[in-house]
Amino acid sequence: MLQVIKSVLAAFLGVQSEKNRQQDFQSRSPWPFIVTGVVMTLVFVLVVASVARWAAS
Amino acid sequence: MHSLLPFGRWLLVLCVIFASQVQAAAINTSSGWNLPPGVTSISQEIFSLHMIIFWICVAIAVVVFGVMFWSLFAYRKSKGAKPANFHENTTVEVIWTAVPLLILIAMAIPATATLKKIYDTSDADIDILVTGYQWRWHYQYVEEDLSFFSNLGTPRSQILGEEDKGDFYLLEVDNPLVVPVGKKIRFLFTSNDVIHAWWVPDLAIKKDTIPGFINESWTIIDEPGTYRGQCAELCGRDHAYMPIEVRAVSQETYDEWLEEQRQMLAEDAAGSQREWTMDELMDRGKGVYNTYCAACHQADGSGMPPAFPALKNNPMMITEEGRDAHIDAVLYGRSGTSMPAYSGTLSVADIAAVITYERNAWGNDAGDRVQPSEISEMLSDD
Ligand SMILES: [Cu+2]
Repeated sequence: MLQVIKSVLAAFLGVQSEKNRQQDFQSRSPWPFIVTGVVMTLVFVLVVASVARWAAS
Repeated sequence: MHSLLPFGRWLLVLCVIFASQVQAAAINTSSGWNLPPGVTSISQEIFSLHMIIFWICVAIAVVVFGVMFWSLFAYRKSKGAKPANFHENTTVEVIWTAVPLLILIAMAIPATATLKKIYDTSDADIDILVTGYQWRWHYQYVEEDLSFFSNLGTPRSQILGEEDKGDFYLLEVDNPLVVPVGKKIRFLFTSNDVIHAWWVPDLAIKKDTIPGFINESWTIIDEPGTYRGQCAELCGRDHAYMPIEVRAVSQETYDEWLEEQRQMLAEDAAGSQREWTMDELMDRGKGVYNTYCAACHQADGSGMPPAFPALKNNPMMITEEGRDAHIDAVLYGRSGTSMPAYSGTLSVADIAAVITYERNAWGNDAGDRVQPSEISEMLSDD
């Protein structure tokens, strides 16, 4: 699980080491990555929105 | 590596010379190369943001190109340098992604603080509704029940090159926007036809005026003076001929100006009742014609057929039978052509005068007068 979160964060930044990439592709199913990606994108949007709301108040 | 030292020193000298040149150009704002600092606290804040970000860009450029040129020089092939052959370096990649991110966030913080001020239109002393028209501005002082059009003030002879161009060529108007200094003025922007943009660089205001929408902005001008601007959204043929002139004056001068405007309105209202002489109508009509009609129909009435018909010897304008159609065309426009309706734009006296002028100028000899009272009657019948 930690490995999946780390890989999604790396994808957000656009930087991933070759070692981790190899390890990710050992995984049997892509679904953990997809679900974690969607959830973390939602979290990111909410964080940005609340920062914007806080800055505007 | 012994050749590196003189080169590094040379590079440093070059950077210092470049930076001092750029700084001289940047500080000398009257050079015309830089953003003007403007005359309001907001415009000056925007100017310093612009300069901070400019210097950040300069610093980044010096570092990036410095490293690049130094690498090119110090590790050149003739010195036997061998290219490294590796695939990735996660640490370096994370650094060059995170550093720009941090720089952007650092720039966003002061920019957001200024943006918040720009959008704070609360507690205004004066509200002015600015409406874009093809091709003039209309200003309405909401609290004062005062409104007027602001037309291009440059004479056509200068535009046509028959006369030398003045100092404020295409940047002068007949009725400037007059505002008092030291007061918070809220502008409401909209448009009557297409999208225009009200742009006065010295006030750091550039707002689109959009039909059916209201945009907002505000200013407090501290220094009395005349601040000029232009329409900044391509809006048709005379886009370049609808300038903005803002005159910031003392409160006393502003009050006097308001009083004057009220008197003129009262005179206009009285004028629409009485009988006008031919000379009065012709005199006023000529002015109205040159402001509102001459751009298309030409000062000599020759028009630009087929788009803009000639008014000289136009059957509608030299016969008694054409009279009603003539008045109708000016009041309500002609659908399917670019002739607009003037019933909402011009006063009844202006409409009567310009129709009389068109019927009796350039050899047109209808010989009749159109009275302002006649126009008011027609309009109240609707
Ligand atoms: Cu315009």
